[in-house]
Amino acid sequence: MTTIEPMIEVDGVSKWFGDLVAVSDISFEVGPGVTALLGPNGAGKSTILRMLCGLTGPARGTVRVLGGDPRRDLGLARHIGLVPQQEVTFETLTAFEFVRLAAVLHGLGHPDGAAALALGVVELDPADRRPTSTYSKGMRQRVKVAQAIVHQPHVIVLDEPLTGLDPRQRLHMINLFQRLGEDGRCVIVSSHVLDEVERFGSRVLVMVQGRLAAEGDFHAIRELMDDRPHRVRVRSDRPRVLATALLDAEAALAVRLEGADTVIVDTDQVARFRRCVAAAAQRSDAHLWEVTPLDDDLESVFRYLVGR
Amino acid sequence: MTNPTTDPTTDLSAPGTARILDRGYRPYEGPRRGARGAMRSLIRHSVQRVLGLKRNVWTKVLPFLTIFFAYVPAIVFVGVAVLLKDRFATEGVDINDVLPSYGEYYLFIWAAIEVFAAFSAPEVLCTDRRTGMIGLYLASPLRRDTYLMAKAAAVGFVLSIVTLGPPLFMLIARTIAGVGPDGVGGFVAVAWRVVVAGIIAAVLPLAMTLAIASTTTRRAAASAAFILISLGSIVVTEALINAGGSKTLFVFNLPYLPIELVARLFGEPAGKIWSSSASVPTSSLVIAYLVFTALCALFVRTRYQRIRVTR
Amino acid sequence: MTEIRAPRRHPTPRTPGAVMSLYRLMLTSQVTRTRVIGLSALGLVSVFVGFAIGHAHLHDALRQGTRFINGFGLSLLVPVATLVFASASLGDPNEDGTLVYLWLRPVARAKIVAAAALASFTVTWPIVTIPLVISAALTGGGRSLVVGTVAGVTVSMVAYIGLFVALGLRVKRATVWGLLYIFVWEGFVATGNNTASRLAVRTYARSVLSHITGETFRVTDIASPWRWLVPVAVALVALAYATRRLSRQDVA
Repeated sequence: MTTIEPMIEVDGVSKWFGDLVAVSDISFEVGPGVTALLGPNGAGKSTILRMLCGLTGPARGTVRVLGGDPRRDLGLARHIGLVPQQEVTFETLTAFEFVRLAAVLHGLGHPDGAAALALGVVELDPADRRPTSTYSKGMRQRVKVAQAIVHQPHVIVLDEPLTGLDPRQRLHMINLFQRLGEDGRCVIVSSHVLDEVERFGSRVLVMVQGRLAAEGDFHAIRELMDDRPHRVRVRSDRPRVLATALLDAEAALAVRLEGADTVIVDTDQVARFRRCVAAAAQRSDAHLWEVTPLDDDLESVFRYLVGR
Repeated sequence: MTNPTTDPTTDLSAPGTARILDRGYRPYEGPRRGARGAMRSLIRHSVQRVLGLKRNVWTKVLPFLTIFFAYVPAIVFVGVAVLLKDRFATEGVDINDVLPSYGEYYLFIWAAIEVFAAFSAPEVLCTDRRTGMIGLYLASPLRRDTYLMAKAAAVGFVLSIVTLGPPLFMLIARTIAGVGPDGVGGFVAVAWRVVVAGIIAAVLPLAMTLAIASTTTRRAAASAAFILISLGSIVVTEALINAGGSKTLFVFNLPYLPIELVARLFGEPAGKIWSSSASVPTSSLVIAYLVFTALCALFVRTRYQRIRVTR
Repeated sequence: MTEIRAPRRHPTPRTPGAVMSLYRLMLTSQVTRTRVIGLSALGLVSVFVGFAIGHAHLHDALRQGTRFINGFGLSLLVPVATLVFASASLGDPNEDGTLVYLWLRPVARAKIVAAAALASFTVTWPIVTIPLVISAALTGGGRSLVVGTVAGVTVSMVAYIGLFVALGLRVKRATVWGLLYIFVWEGFVATGNNTASRLAVRTYARSVLSHITGETFRVTDIASPWRWLVPVAVALVALAYATRRLSRQDVA
C-alpha cells in the first residue's frame, strides 16, 4: 500500500472572533485530489479556507500546507491558488490584465502567455477589452478561477466557485477541478450545491457549528451512521411476501408497501440486508426487479450530519 | 381560528393537536400607517444611525464627542455664572457683561456644527444609495420627496442638538440660577431668539451637507468635500477681502455667514465677531443665506428626482 | 498524466516587475474621475485667488501670498488631497476584499506598501502642486514664494502619504479619521502650544515655507535640518508600520 503524503495538515485548530467561536478544535489531513468542504452557513468553512491560505491565523493549533506555515512562509504563496468568496475584482482591469497581474506577482517568466492560457481554460477571451466591472457574476467567477490557476499551484482553494455559473459552465468547472485533482494537485472546494459536489468525487469534509462533523468518503460516512437506518427501495412482483421474509430474516427494521410492486425497507444492518435480500426473494419465490438505496447520496449524508 | 402557537389554553397533549413554531414567510396583516408612519420610522432610524445608537461603540465616538465639545462651553459658562455671581454682584459687575452672550456663543461651537454637519448627512444619504436600501424605502409609501423630507428632518434634528441645545441649556440654567433674563417677558424675548438662532445655525449647513451627500455614494468623500468647501470658503474669502476685494464677499464665507446672522439676531453690532463683516448689511446676509439654502435644497431635490432606483 | 510533486522548501521567487505592476494598478484604481475633478476644481480656486491677490498690486503681496499658500495650500488642499488618495491606495482594496489578490502572492509586503506610496505621490503631487505653484506665481510674491510652495508641499506630502497609507490600512473609515486628524489635531489642538505643534506635519511644511520666503508665522519655527528630516522620518516610520501591519493583519 502506498502512503500518500498529505498536502494539507490541520491539527487541533480553533479560531474565535471575540465571543464567537468560528472553528473549534479541528484536525484533518488532505492529500492530492478533490475534496469537498461542506457545511451550512456559519459552519466555519470560509474561516478554515482562509486559514489554509494564511489570510488569517489560527488562535490555537497548527495549519501546515505543503509542510510550511501559510501565514508566515511568503514563498508558499507560489504554490497556493485561491478563489475567494467575494465577487469583487479590480474593476478597472480587463480579465487579461487581472490574470496577467497575478502571473507577474508570481514571478512567471511569460506572464502574457500564462494569462492567456489560464483564461482559455475557463473559456474567456484574453482579447476582451472590457473591464471586469462590466462582467456578469458568472464571468467574474471564471476570471477568479483563472487568476487562481495561472501559476499552476499545488494547492487550489475554491470558496463557492460555482456561484453564478450557468449549468454548462458548472459542468465545465467541475471537469476542470477533477482534472486538476487527477493531476495530483490538492483541490479543496466549498460549495452548497450538493448534487454537483457529489460529482467532484466522494471525499468530503463536513463542518457543523465550527466543528468537523465527518470526513472521508461520503458513502463510508453513511455506512458509519449506525443510528440512522438506511432506507432501500425494493421492487418485486411479490412485495408483501418479500417484506415479510426480510423481517423474518432480521434484515429490516421496518417495511412499508408502496403501490403494487414496491416495498420501502429501513435497515440498520446494510451488509446483512445485502446478503439476505436475494435469498429472501428466492425463498419467497419472488422476482427482484430493483434494489436502490434511497439515502446513500451526499445530500442525505449531509442532512443527517447537519440535522442531528 | 385558534392559534395554537399563542393560545396557552391549547392542550398539546390532546390527540391531533400540533404546534408550529415557524411558518416561514407570511404577508403582513397588521395595521398600515401610510406615508406618515413611514416618514416617522425613517426619521427615527436615521437619527439612530447618525448618533450610532444600537450600533457598536466606534460609531458613537464621533457624534457624542462633537456633542460634548458643543456643550462644554455652555456648562463652563453656567458654572462660572452660578459660582461667581455673588462675587461679581459685590463688585458691582453684571455677570452677563462678563460672560459671552448667546450670539457670541456660536463662536465657540461653529467648528462642532461643521464637523457634525460633515458627517451626519453622508451617513444617512450615501449609505442608502450605496447599499441599495433606497430602493426598498421607495417601494414603501415613501416618495422621493417624502424620503428626502424625512432624511432632512432627521439630520436637522441631530444638528439642532448642537445648534439649539447648548444656548437653550444656557438660558434655562442661567434662569434657574437667577442670572437669566428679567421676568417672563425677558425670558420669552431671549427664548424665541435662541430657537430661531438654533434654526439659522442648522439650516444652511444642513442644506449644504445634503447637497454634497447627494453627489456621491461614498460617505467619506462627501464628508471631505463638505469640510473642504466650508473651510476653503473661509480661507478664500478672507484672502480675497485682504487682497482688496469687496467686503460683501463675506457672504461667501459659508460657515461664518449663519454665525454672523445669529449674532445680529441677538443685537450684536456688525463686525463685532468678524471685522470683515462690518460693512455688510444684514439684508445682504439674509438674502445670501436664503439663496444658498434654496440653491442647495433645489440641487438635492433635482439629484434625487433623477437618481435611478432599482427595486 | 503529469505527476505533481509538492515541494518541501518554499523559497520566495523573484518577482521582477512586481512593484511596477502594483504601482500601475494602484495608480489606475486611485485616479477616479470624481476625485480628480473635485480636487482639480479646488486647485483652480487657488489659482483664482492667486490671480486676485496679484491683481490687487498689494505692497505686501509676498506676505498675503504666503498666508494664502499656508492657509489654503498647506493647511487644506495638501492634507485633504493626500488623505483622499493615500488612504484609498491600500484602504480601498482592504475594504472591498481585493487586497487578497495582492496579499496571496509571493511579493514582499514592503513592495506593496512602497507601490501604494509611490502611486499616491504620483497622483497627488501634480494635482496639488501645479495649481498652487501657479497661484503662488500669480500673487506676485516672487520666486521665493514659488520655491517655498513647491518645497513646503513636497515635504508635507511625503509625511502625509506615509501617515495616510498606514491609516487606510489600519482603520475602516480612514477618510473620516484622517479629517479629524487634519482639522481637530492639526487645525485646533496643535495650534495651541509649541509642543503640540511639533506633532503636526503642517508645522514643518509651514516652517519650510517660512524659511524660504522669509515670512514668519505665529507658531513654532523648526530648526533647519529637522524641518526637512522629520517629515521624511515620519513617512518612513509610518510606511514601516504599514508593512508590518500588512504582514500581520487578517485579510478578508
